[in-house]
Amino acid sequence: MKPPPLLLGVTLLFWGWQSDLLLPGALMTVVLESAHVFKTRWDFSDDDFTKTWSFCSLVLLAAVVYSFTNNDGPSSFTNMFEDLSLSAHRSASTASARTAAQVIRWLPMIFFPFLVAQTFSTRESIPLATISLILQRRWKKAKSLGLPSPISRGFSIVYPYFCATLLAASFHPSDDNSFFWGFCVLLTWVLWTQRSHRFAVAVWFGVLAVAVAIGFFGQRGASQAQAYLTNKLNSQWFANLIRRSENPYQSRTSMGIVGKLKLSDRIVIRLQPNKPKNIPAYLREASYRLYRDQTWFGGSPREDFISTTEEQPTGSGNWTLLTGKSVISSISIACYLEDYDKGAPSGLLPLPIGTTRLEKLTAYTVEHNKTGSVRVTGPGFLMFDALIGPGAAIDSPPSSRTNFNFARGSRFYEDMGIGYFEGHKGEGGGFGFGGRGDGEGRRGFGGRREGEGRRNFEDRNSGSSTNDPKFIPLVSHDELAVPAAECPALDLVIEDLGLRGRTNDALKVLQDFFATRFKYSMWQSTPRDMNAHQTPLSRFLLTTRSGHCEYFATATVLLLRRLGIPTRYATGYAVHEESGSGYVVRLSDAHAWTLVWDEAHKQWFDFETTPSSWIEVEKSSHSPLRWLKDAWGRFVFEFSKIRNGQSNIRQYLLWIILPGMAMLLYQIAFRRGRKRRRDKKNDAVFLEIWPGLDSDFYQLEKMISARGVMRGSAEPLNLWLQRVEKFPGMSSLQEPLRALIRLHYRHRFDPQGLNAIDRESLKAETRRCLELLARTDS
Amino acid sequence: MILVLHLLYRMYRFITWSTFWIKRRFTIAGQAMIGGLIVALFTGLDAESAVGYQAFMPLFVLMGVSLLFGFGFKTGFRVERHLPRVATAGQPITYRISVKNLTRKNQLGLTLMEDLVDPRPTFKQWKAYKLDEDKHVRPFRFDRRNFRSPFKMANVKETNVPRLNPQQENDLSIELKPLRRGVVNFTGITFARPDPMGIYRALRKQCLPQSLLVLPKRYAIPPIALPGSMKYQQGGVAMASNIGQSEEFVSLRDYRRGDPPRHIHWRSWARIGKPIVKEFEDEFFVRHALVLDTFTTRPHSEAFEEAVSVAASFACTVLTQESLLDLLFVGSEAFCFTSGRGIAHADQMLEILASVQPANGHEFELLEHLVMNHAGTVSGCICVMLDWDETRKRFIEKLRSYGLPVLVLVIRTLGDKRPLDPGPMADAPDQFLALEVGRIEEQLARLK
Repeated sequence: MKPPPLLLGVTLLFWGWQSDLLLPGALMTVVLESAHVFKTRWDFSDDDFTKTWSFCSLVLLAAVVYSFTNNDGPSSFTNMFEDLSLSAHRSASTASARTAAQVIRWLPMIFFPFLVAQTFSTRESIPLATISLILQRRWKKAKSLGLPSPISRGFSIVYPYFCATLLAASFHPSDDNSFFWGFCVLLTWVLWTQRSHRFAVAVWFGVLAVAVAIGFFGQRGASQAQAYLTNKLNSQWFANLIRRSENPYQSRTSMGIVGKLKLSDRIVIRLQPNKPKNIPAYLREASYRLYRDQTWFGGSPREDFISTTEEQPTGSGNWTLLTGKSVISSISIACYLEDYDKGAPSGLLPLPIGTTRLEKLTAYTVEHNKTGSVRVTGPGFLMFDALIGPGAAIDSPPSSRTNFNFARGSRFYEDMGIGYFEGHKGEGGGFGFGGRGDGEGRRGFGGRREGEGRRNFEDRNSGSSTNDPKFIPLVSHDELAVPAAECPALDLVIEDLGLRGRTNDALKVLQDFFATRFKYSMWQSTPRDMNAHQTPLSRFLLTTRSGHCEYFATATVLLLRRLGIPTRYATGYAVHEESGSGYVVRLSDAHAWTLVWDEAHKQWFDFETTPSSWIEVEKSSHSPLRWLKDAWGRFVFEFSKIRNGQSNIRQYLLWIILPGMAMLLYQIAFRRGRKRRRDKKNDAVFLEIWPGLDSDFYQLEKMISARGVMRGSAEPLNLWLQRVEKFPGMSSLQEPLRALIRLHYRHRFDPQGLNAIDRESLKAETRRCLELLARTDS
Repeated sequence: MILVLHLLYRMYRFITWSTFWIKRRFTIAGQAMIGGLIVALFTGLDAESAVGYQAFMPLFVLMGVSLLFGFGFKTGFRVERHLPRVATAGQPITYRISVKNLTRKNQLGLTLMEDLVDPRPTFKQWKAYKLDEDKHVRPFRFDRRNFRSPFKMANVKETNVPRLNPQQENDLSIELKPLRRGVVNFTGITFARPDPMGIYRALRKQCLPQSLLVLPKRYAIPPIALPGSMKYQQGGVAMASNIGQSEEFVSLRDYRRGDPPRHIHWRSWARIGKPIVKEFEDEFFVRHALVLDTFTTRPHSEAFEEAVSVAASFACTVLTQESLLDLLFVGSEAFCFTSGRGIAHADQMLEILASVQPANGHEFELLEHLVMNHAGTVSGCICVMLDWDETRKRFIEKLRSYGLPVLVLVIRTLGDKRPLDPGPMADAPDQFLALEVGRIEEQLARLK
């Protein structure tokens, strides 16, 4: 089925216009339609078409790989397998969709060589076996068995290519109707050739006009309905389902949850110190100031984040967080961004405290806030150098007390995005927490929050109010605020340790206290005598004395605050596991600790009270197949390095692919010549093995032909001999030739062949005839 | 398991039916349009990044309008199909259909399609085929799988009906390719009229039942000297194929001890007073048995079809050599058909072979008994075997113990290079031949 003239050319132009690839589209049109001007055609073999198809397939594969890596495919899919959250699935599906869209958009270019091969070939259809792997295998098998190739149905790529081009032209965002009209024109063009001659042309036009008119208004209505469904409903559905894994504004702890803490041992960060063993103990992601209901809040509004300007030239990857600081060490950090913000991967950077400058960081934006969090958007994988110096940090000093008004509609808490606290107007409400949970993605919990509902209920009816001065102590800094509900337990501990009024050795006493009287545990059992008024922290301090790092860090922060020492609650990762010359940090190394304000040096420092046994306890829960996961993690890491340009291999990739492509092109272009040469060689073999071709009679045939009695290409020998006998001067050869030809036929066609005597006879008879011929000549 | 198979069978029936319906109802352009509709529907789900949704509505409306043209198609034709008597599997044939326009309107732009009996198998047949395929083809070896239906009898090409004026008659040439031996049953013909856009076709069926016998494929067999010498056939050629004895005899003679009482000529005895017997003319000629092994668990295998083809090839060849040929095989029961020397023709033998089915539910011993009963009258045996196991070896050994020359042909799958132990044929290697499926003709040419 031949397409109407110019149809494919116009379709390619339409595709080029729609896909912003007008120049390639125009060039392809010129090449394709030049077939109407240049009538030269090539006799491509099936093998040539197979090679061309292989070439197109290779280009398709390269396009898929390129597009996949270009759209964060590898990192998205890795995350999807390792992180079961909805956001990971969403990013993976987004990456696949982008890859598919991009590849589809390139389809006309990818398969253009095959179309050109068919257009400029002498054939109208190509055997299906040239593109079908199954048929190709059958062909090869038949060939290996010495059987004729199975008959393959022919096909033409023209109309499939036309459809693929239209599909490619549709893969672009647009608000206008240009695609609709272009599509209708091309469809009309095609259908004109297919119309039924049973009906009048007017009927044909009428049907088409009706279809186009209804289609135009219908597609507008459909697109509006779809936009409504997508924008109004989907966004609301998904907004409630998607959980962010990191949040600099709040961190909901697992305190009060019974059951076992489930921790993944996936490697999330890799560190390479520039000086051996010079490694920070912690990598902080965020720190928090205010604690309430097992949740820590940053205590700063969303606008608190300020942008960090990249050093000139843009793209240098150098970002200075704090100016005027000396640098004493640096560390190379590789990590993944697992959130999405405005369509780009984003997240908080895990940094050692005192980081002053970031180098080789290929981020799009870098922001930091007063509590020391550094938030970036960029490619899914980052590898950068963190330069560390002593002294000041990006963390602000203890802030003066925020307008700590818990009244409904408080601007401060609105900004924090944590909702309202119902109880402040004396309505009898306790802590009805109305904000969204942060959904700490790194930790999963198998338990439930103990007595949570009941406590809220009892709080609501207890008549306690934040107007009660005992509930919120009046302090000068946010870093000294302690919830009233925790005060009794804290005070009991302070009294027990005799720390009241002693701040100089408070840190050491507390460290000893937690190290000797507490135990690290990832398991929280249901308390037998649950006191509804006892908070999980109080129970930890007074009863269980066992818990994970969040308990220790929160207790330490609040105890020190109760003693008048400003503190903050920090979250991030502990660094302890060596791997080769560097270190690796797993998800199970996620940790919480205390930041203590050193008034003398005006800086924050890390203070740890979690018993050091926590590392061993967490190690004990590791899977025996962790090495396998680590190997996969290493592969993903190396791939991410290549994919994100952190490896040199990418720049060499083109040089690896190009020779391959060139070789394939060479195969296609020059293989025919090689085949001919090979065929000649085969012919020689053929001549050697074919019986009877060495007959001496052929010498005679050559001699007679030279005398003007040429034998026709398919003329039987006996007929030719009849002509020879009639030729003047050749009559004397009649009898010997007849005898000779019998021998020759036997030698040539008898399966038994000639015996030695007859073979000799053939030679002798031939010689005799040649002599006769010579004599006749003379 | 059986529930799953039932479900799969239902799916198979649905898919084959829908494929058949789409191919019949929609033109190539229409089929492409269905594909376009599906693609536009899916790309339209993401209207922000693709404008494929803009193509959906015009395609949808075009399709809808075309479907409306599917109604109200009436025809008035007188149709006559001129089929040949037989066809050969794999060999395309062309036959005529005469179409006369009985309406007062000009008829143009129509297509004629043949209606064949639904070739879809019953659940039992389908299950047997699928289980057999799964047993012999490893998963994901798509190049080994047979994607063509083993139940479909023939492919008939659609033919465009030329313009027919009122009362005008015209002949159409229809091309049919029989895919396998058996009977192709026609139920009628269908006229198709595409809508103005050439997308959807209105159909009008006309009943015209007929059938066509498809003979097995045959191979050229070189002129061979079949084993065995001439044997006495009591009663001559006619008697060789009939039960009982003819009344015709050549002479009378005195009774000798041992003559059967049936040969006594009663009238002569009455006339001369002593027992006289009839003497029949002694006839000696070659009579061969063509034994076809039908004992296979794979009724749709190529090997079985090739075995039938080899038997058919011998049936054609041997008849030309002035001999009798008994075809012995077991189908639903044990069968023996004799042909040659004017008793029956090769065509009849081929017609029988066209309908041979595997011997389901019978033991190989049944064939053995059948052949042994004929062993006394035949000069030699040609055995076409589907396997070369111990049972078959014993059978051949027994045949040879009767002093019968035997030619054994074993059908094997293509590429099966395992050495075949000749067993009882070790002393006659030239009478033992393994034939590979796909290379049968080439290997038959080695026969001497």
